[in-house]
Amino acid sequence: MIAQTLRTWWKWWKWWPFRHNELPKLFLCAYVLLALAAPLLAPQNPYDPTQIFAWEASSAPGTPSGGGYVYWLGTDGLGRDIASTILYGLRISLMVSVISSAIAAAIGLAAGVSAAFFGRWVDIVIMRLVDLQLSLPTMLVALIAIVTLGPSIDRIILALVIVQWAAYARMVRGVALGERGKPYVDAARLLRLPTHRILFRHVLPNSVPPVVTLIPIEIGHAIALEATLSFLGLGVPVDKPSLGSAVANGFQYLLTGQYWISLFPGLALFGLIASINFVGEDLRRRLDPRREPQ
Amino acid sequence: MTDAAFFAPLLEVRNLSLQYRSPGGPIPILHDISLYLKQGEVVGIIGESGAGKSTLGNAILGLLPPAFEQSDGTICISGMDLDRIDSRQGEALRRRRISAVFQDHTTSLDPLMSVGAQIAETIRAAEPTLCSEDVYRRVVALLKQVEIDDAERRFRDRPHQFSGGQRQRIVIAMALAGSPDLIVADEPTSALDATVQKQILALLRHLVEETGISILLVTHDMGVIAEIADRVVVMRHGHIAEQNAVSVVLDQPQNDYTRRLLAAVPKIRLTGDSVDTSVADTISVPALAIGGHGITKTFPLGRSVLPLMNSRRKAALQDISFDLLPGAITGVVGESGSGKSTLGRIFAGLEQADAGTIRIGEEIVDASRSSRKTGLLGRVQMIFQDPSVSLNPRMTIEKALRESVRYGARATGNGSGSLGAMMDRVGLSRSLLARYPHQLSGGQKQRVAIARALLARPQIIVADEPTSALDVSVQAEILDLLKEIVAEQNVTVLFISHDLAVVQALCRFVYVLKAGQIADSGSSDFIFTRSQSPYTRSLIDARPRRFTH
Amino acid sequence: MTLFSAVFGRMGQAVVLLFVMSLIGFVGIHAVGNPVFNIVNVETATVEDIQRATIALGLDQPIWRQYLVFAEDLLSGNFGISYVYHLPAFSLVMEKLPATLELAVVAMLLAATLGVLIGLVAGRQPGTRLDRTILRASVFALSIPSFWLSMMLILGGAILAGRFPSGGRGATARLFGSDWSVLTVDGLRHLVLPALALAIPNIALIARLTRAGTIEVEGLDFIRFCRAKGLSPHRILLRHTLPNISVPIVTIIGLQFGGMLAFAVVVETIFAWPGIGKLLIDSIQLLDRPVVMATLTFVSVAFVTLNALVDLFQAVLDPRVRLPRKG
Repeated sequence: MIAQTLRTWWKWWKWWPFRHNELPKLFLCAYVLLALAAPLLAPQNPYDPTQIFAWEASSAPGTPSGGGYVYWLGTDGLGRDIASTILYGLRISLMVSVISSAIAAAIGLAAGVSAAFFGRWVDIVIMRLVDLQLSLPTMLVALIAIVTLGPSIDRIILALVIVQWAAYARMVRGVALGERGKPYVDAARLLRLPTHRILFRHVLPNSVPPVVTLIPIEIGHAIALEATLSFLGLGVPVDKPSLGSAVANGFQYLLTGQYWISLFPGLALFGLIASINFVGEDLRRRLDPRREPQ
Repeated sequence: MTDAAFFAPLLEVRNLSLQYRSPGGPIPILHDISLYLKQGEVVGIIGESGAGKSTLGNAILGLLPPAFEQSDGTICISGMDLDRIDSRQGEALRRRRISAVFQDHTTSLDPLMSVGAQIAETIRAAEPTLCSEDVYRRVVALLKQVEIDDAERRFRDRPHQFSGGQRQRIVIAMALAGSPDLIVADEPTSALDATVQKQILALLRHLVEETGISILLVTHDMGVIAEIADRVVVMRHGHIAEQNAVSVVLDQPQNDYTRRLLAAVPKIRLTGDSVDTSVADTISVPALAIGGHGITKTFPLGRSVLPLMNSRRKAALQDISFDLLPGAITGVVGESGSGKSTLGRIFAGLEQADAGTIRIGEEIVDASRSSRKTGLLGRVQMIFQDPSVSLNPRMTIEKALRESVRYGARATGNGSGSLGAMMDRVGLSRSLLARYPHQLSGGQKQRVAIARALLARPQIIVADEPTSALDVSVQAEILDLLKEIVAEQNVTVLFISHDLAVVQALCRFVYVLKAGQIADSGSSDFIFTRSQSPYTRSLIDARPRRFTH
Repeated sequence: MTLFSAVFGRMGQAVVLLFVMSLIGFVGIHAVGNPVFNIVNVETATVEDIQRATIALGLDQPIWRQYLVFAEDLLSGNFGISYVYHLPAFSLVMEKLPATLELAVVAMLLAATLGVLIGLVAGRQPGTRLDRTILRASVFALSIPSFWLSMMLILGGAILAGRFPSGGRGATARLFGSDWSVLTVDGLRHLVLPALALAIPNIALIARLTRAGTIEVEGLDFIRFCRAKGLSPHRILLRHTLPNISVPIVTIIGLQFGGMLAFAVVVETIFAWPGIGKLLIDSIQLLDRPVVMATLTFVSVAFVTLNALVDLFQAVLDPRVRLPRKG
């Protein structure tokens, strides 16, 4: 049955990538490849103090390095190569956001489907929690979570999961409730199908597409939020900079004209979030119920 | 005004062709349409879905989206070619002479503005010089003209405070407000109950006679045409199939398609010539083994802050008892809100009643308990109204049918042999088994739904308005299929419909439901020929006379 | 449902929400660590010291009593004395409030006007090149991380162009017993960049919403009807389209205003704008717990109240609106 479900899902997965609006997708693929291959591509490991030359701190872009390579994007105040910092930071940003979104989506899916299907008190308890969380701005929830939990990578992921799960839960519940009320589910009930079959063969395959559109949006949010927290000094530890903390490192140098320390990591971050959002936008338009496939 | 303009018909469409510019090249929508309409005339445009009738109406109103392109032909008002003259002048002429009534009364009025203000606004747009005192008087007069009671007081009410029929009257008042010569009415009564439809049509006819206005009526319903039109234009696939006086089209149709269309319209027989003596007139036969007793259902009315304070409830069904003729079709007929669908769903076990029992053979089941626990669920299969949502969009036809075979109550057949045979039986090609529902037409989907219900081998099937989402010609085919299957397979059918003619064509015994109570019941013959119930009479009278014999 | 019961119900919901939040806050504080060690020196304290501190803090009381004391403190705005400023935490928050308020109000005015205008322009002509450009630009605007946007505004507006100051509030003038930057020319110049930083993502958000609403409403029969009866496009827009799309727009403006109070954290930190956001981050870094608690509580309460007000405003604006069933 799981194989069946996977095959049904594969059916609509296989038609999503690479048709029109290619650019954001190419960008996104490039970002993922760059992040995966960071140790191979980066001339320097910015986490390794032995590879950093402190006397080359705040070098302008294009300065040749003592290590035999060129600082194409300059170095930061500690002498770390900006290009390498971006590659390594990308890894952390992507990892944190993808992991947290995956966990949040799983929790949200389970919570939403349970709320929709079991109804009664299960529904009430879950939806009250969702309301509570969604009635506060994400930034505030993340701040409260970090203040109580304390900063570190796993705590950040936990905070991001806390921020995101409710959006998934609410959407899944709404969609599942909508599908559950449709005549084809009535027809399935009339056949006395086992509940799990109605759930996995009928309701879920029809509920997943709208929920999928939420994933890129939430990953984009998570990246931005993680970067913001790191920027505020509440995110990942300073010795392992994510893109957000890389931007933060350059803040104090901005006013003295050493713009590159903040500009390039920020640009990379902006490009990453933008390409995710464009892919998400495209996906949502494609799955818009008003343009059902004919 | 020149002589030519004086003698020219009010509206003339000459050789109009329209196409839709799609990314894959232009798609022709209308081909070479020519028609005219004189002052004081009601011309009906009839056609099934996809005939292009609404597109034609919108083209005359000048409301087509920019993607539509007029590739040939002209539209003239009083001899003036709307495309020839300056576009702004043409626009102004159109606005002054033509107005519109649309189908959906829930969206044709601005929900945030009082109806009086909306009508007043229309009057001011037509005659900007009028003083507000005069405008107010005109609005009240218009509301009275469309028979809205208490016009002065209801002036300030918003649209949601009116009933559907009243809203459609207000829309008509608004269409009249600019004193136009022509009203284009696109399915003006399709969203209304038959009795209300009758009143609205009478109002329109009355307005034509009183004010000399002309109406171009776009509809799919031959009954509406028969009731009100002077001339008819029959459209099919963007062409005009036939164009003639209404009496000619109805009595001596010249065109094959028109003939088929007319034959497909279900008709009511009021004469008792085909008396079915096998069924008693009024009483329910005590020996019958399938039915319901004392079924009551209420819905909460609104919501309150605390769940426990929710004491006000609206009765949907009050103490309904009914019996079904085994191996035949029993009808439940009623207008919207009568509770007929709720009754069907309770009988099938999809909803729990507040009280009552359901009897199937020897078994008597408590309808107020969970149908899964009482074993009611699964005994009855259903055919739903809208086939586009009653099949799982992500399952092939084959998978959907196989599920029915596997989980059906008395699974007997297995393998694709029985699926193929069933496809043959419901008149579908076996090659459709591999398709997804969205790749089928509405009629094909409904045939699949019937096959799915039959494959579960039920004793009883509930058919809830199974044809009201389909075109007339398709409806006739589906009804025939249902009839044959009942005769062959010895299933008992509860047939729910708002359409008396359809019920008469299919059912041997009929219950008339009104506001959650049984208003009348009896053999089909009794109900349609001899019943004295005023409500039944009013339902029958609401049918267009042309299609009652 | 009458308006009265709607008001009653929505207020009740807000109160329940605040109660649950206070419970979570109470549990959270206790989970973080024994507050006794905030006031006694862990290394030198004797058992008696800890005993005395526990009694002084009321920690020997049963748990429900402790919660009551906690709730009473919340209600009376008594969050304790700031470890750093040695002032009552709550009055510290109140003192910083005008700066945040004027920043958020100016940003929201900017975002609402520009957003609605741009959204209407795009929504009136969906599918055109202009519409597609606006849509694409809005995705970009929503993708810029706010802290980086702030820094780039400083880079462009303050460092490269040199037209605007890079931080601080500038000169202020007193009104109603508070200091306001909007009242002086210098203050306004200081306000431009941070207000832009807060406004830009919201312009995009409001524009997208307005666009979607306009397209939806303009497709409805009654708007087609208005065209068929010859109303001027101007009048249709002002009397019919706008009122009908106003409900979602007012909602998002309300929600985003609450969000701005929270997101001002970033912008205020970067522009050294002395509002409650900067106070919060400074206090977190200085481990000034009473001030952190006071700020978070204040923003949460403000946000929940704002939410409730927006819902009620909807009910007034649109007589058909039934309050959405939660749960």
